[in-house]
Amino acid sequence: MDTLPPGDAFDRELSLRELLGVFASDRLGRHLVALLGDYRLCDEKNEVVLESGNAAVDAPTIGIMLDIEPIGRLQSPANIKTLKAAAGLVEILLQSQMRYRMASRLHEEQVSHDYQRLQQEHAALLKSELKYRTLAAELEARVQAQVETLKTAERQLYQAEKLASVGQLAAGVAHEINNPIGFIRSNLISAIAYVKDISGLRPAIASGDEKKILTAWKTADMDFLLEDFQSLLQESIIGADRVARIVSDLKGFSSIEHGKEERIDLNESIRTVCNVAGSRIQQKAQLVLDLGELPALQCQPGHINDVLLAMLFNATQAVGEQGEIRISTAVEDGDICVRISDNGCGIAPENLSKIFDPFFTTREVGTGIGLGLTVSRDIVRAHGGHIEVESRVGAGTTFTVHLPLKGR
Amino acid sequence: MADYDEDANRLTIKLVYYGPAMSGKTTNLMQLHDQLRPDMKGELMTLETQGDRTLFFDLLPLGFRAPSGLLVKFKLFTVPGQVAHDGTRKAVLSRADGVVFVADSQRNQVLNNAESFENLAENAARVGLDFDAMPLVVQFNKRDLPDILSEEEISERWQDAQWPLVFASALSGEGVGETFRQLLEPVYQHMNRKYQMDKNHGLDAAGFIRGMGVQDF
Repeated sequence: MDTLPPGDAFDRELSLRELLGVFASDRLGRHLVALLGDYRLCDEKNEVVLESGNAAVDAPTIGIMLDIEPIGRLQSPANIKTLKAAAGLVEILLQSQMRYRMASRLHEEQVSHDYQRLQQEHAALLKSELKYRTLAAELEARVQAQVETLKTAERQLYQAEKLASVGQLAAGVAHEINNPIGFIRSNLISAIAYVKDISGLRPAIASGDEKKILTAWKTADMDFLLEDFQSLLQESIIGADRVARIVSDLKGFSSIEHGKEERIDLNESIRTVCNVAGSRIQQKAQLVLDLGELPALQCQPGHINDVLLAMLFNATQAVGEQGEIRISTAVEDGDICVRISDNGCGIAPENLSKIFDPFFTTREVGTGIGLGLTVSRDIVRAHGGHIEVESRVGAGTTFTVHLPLKGR
Repeated sequence: MADYDEDANRLTIKLVYYGPAMSGKTTNLMQLHDQLRPDMKGELMTLETQGDRTLFFDLLPLGFRAPSGLLVKFKLFTVPGQVAHDGTRKAVLSRADGVVFVADSQRNQVLNNAESFENLAENAARVGLDFDAMPLVVQFNKRDLPDILSEEEISERWQDAQWPLVFASALSGEGVGETFRQLLEPVYQHMNRKYQMDKNHGLDAAGFIRGMGVQDF
């Protein structure tokens, strides 16, 4: 409930005294004296509201009506007709006062009602403002969370792309390792047979008979056997070394060391990358290295290796059967420049502007998701450098990676 | 709520004519002023109007004396119908002992009627009246006009409502007294429960209605 208490209600019964009020009473009194001489105006409880100095108690009395009931009495010794007229005038005054009182009280109630409603609306507005503020803050947090999610997804995709290249890498590496492992194993099997043959000499040697020993030696063809045994072992050592080198090259790609900054010889990195990816490339193309003398470069070697590998894979995929891939390095204007050129299919002009866009790929599904160059550019930018590309369809493509020697 | 003043030996009962703008609330009061023959009848007090429209309210005071000498005083109010005057409407409705809802029978007024009736229910709740329990009569006015909803249509629409339905032509006075009589019955029941009108004042329902001079129609 939101109304005023009944005591203040616009429609409550009003007494004569209330209706006249102080101001009206004063003026009314003067006019009644002028009209009636002595008079007395009482309310319905017979209490005097207005009177002249010495009104007679037994003078004629006339009721003052308001609405439907008497609200007071007017008493005066004046002429009865004058008294009635005076009472009529007082009634008109009271009625007019009542109208005014009711209207103004009602107006007051209405204003108070409007004010309360405005306050409620204001409170509601404040509440909704707060709600939207909270919402806005939440929205920001949500956007942050979304951005975080997207970043994570991007990282995951980058990892996936990396895994894909690692997969391609692994295929090459497996081939590379399988070869030496194959001949090492075959050599070891031969070695077991040779040891058996050598053991077969034991009875002859035990007999101490020189002739017997010589015969057995010749039968077993020991001269050849010992020579071959040695070269078997030699070959196996070379094979094991090859495996060891591959494994050590692969370590350069382990992501564990990606974050660390080091001063490195970029030419050395290029050689490592070529070793790791070598078998895959050499199946298709000839790899020519033209490495100039370079000062040490402060960088994150793991990331730079990723860039070189991505470029190399792209070149490999671009060249045909008798392709050539050339990698050259030089210092130009304070930058180390690495040029990776191929004489492959080239990039169509309409695609040239898109090759760094995420997920842009012209390759078949499953062979790349289109992040290689995107990630490469990000890495090179992080090192303060940039990548340039020149390409002609059918003639080949040259990527030039600029890496500044001083600062980023 | 009725105001029982023991000193003045007076029971004041407040009845309110509610409804959409221009539905004939003031006309109802004018007709009652002419038709009713109670012991005491005041003048119809009309506060500020704008054109034909009530800005504040109209007030018609009526009354009679119960056998016990108790003055039973009625104050009949109208509310301003226009949507904008909701504050006034609410203030006038406060403490009402009974309500006549004056609806406009014209077909194009269906929406206004509905909105106003809803507003009545809302305001009743806001001023602390029990809308379901308070005496209420629904009057469909302007039966004399063309293009009005038929009595069948209206009865069908209101058949599930608990309130008495009266058809009226306030301009000619038809149905106005009947509406008032229909309202007096539940009002008496309420007053009797609260103030033992029958026991303490020798006033039964018939006497209550007769006292207001309604028996003539």
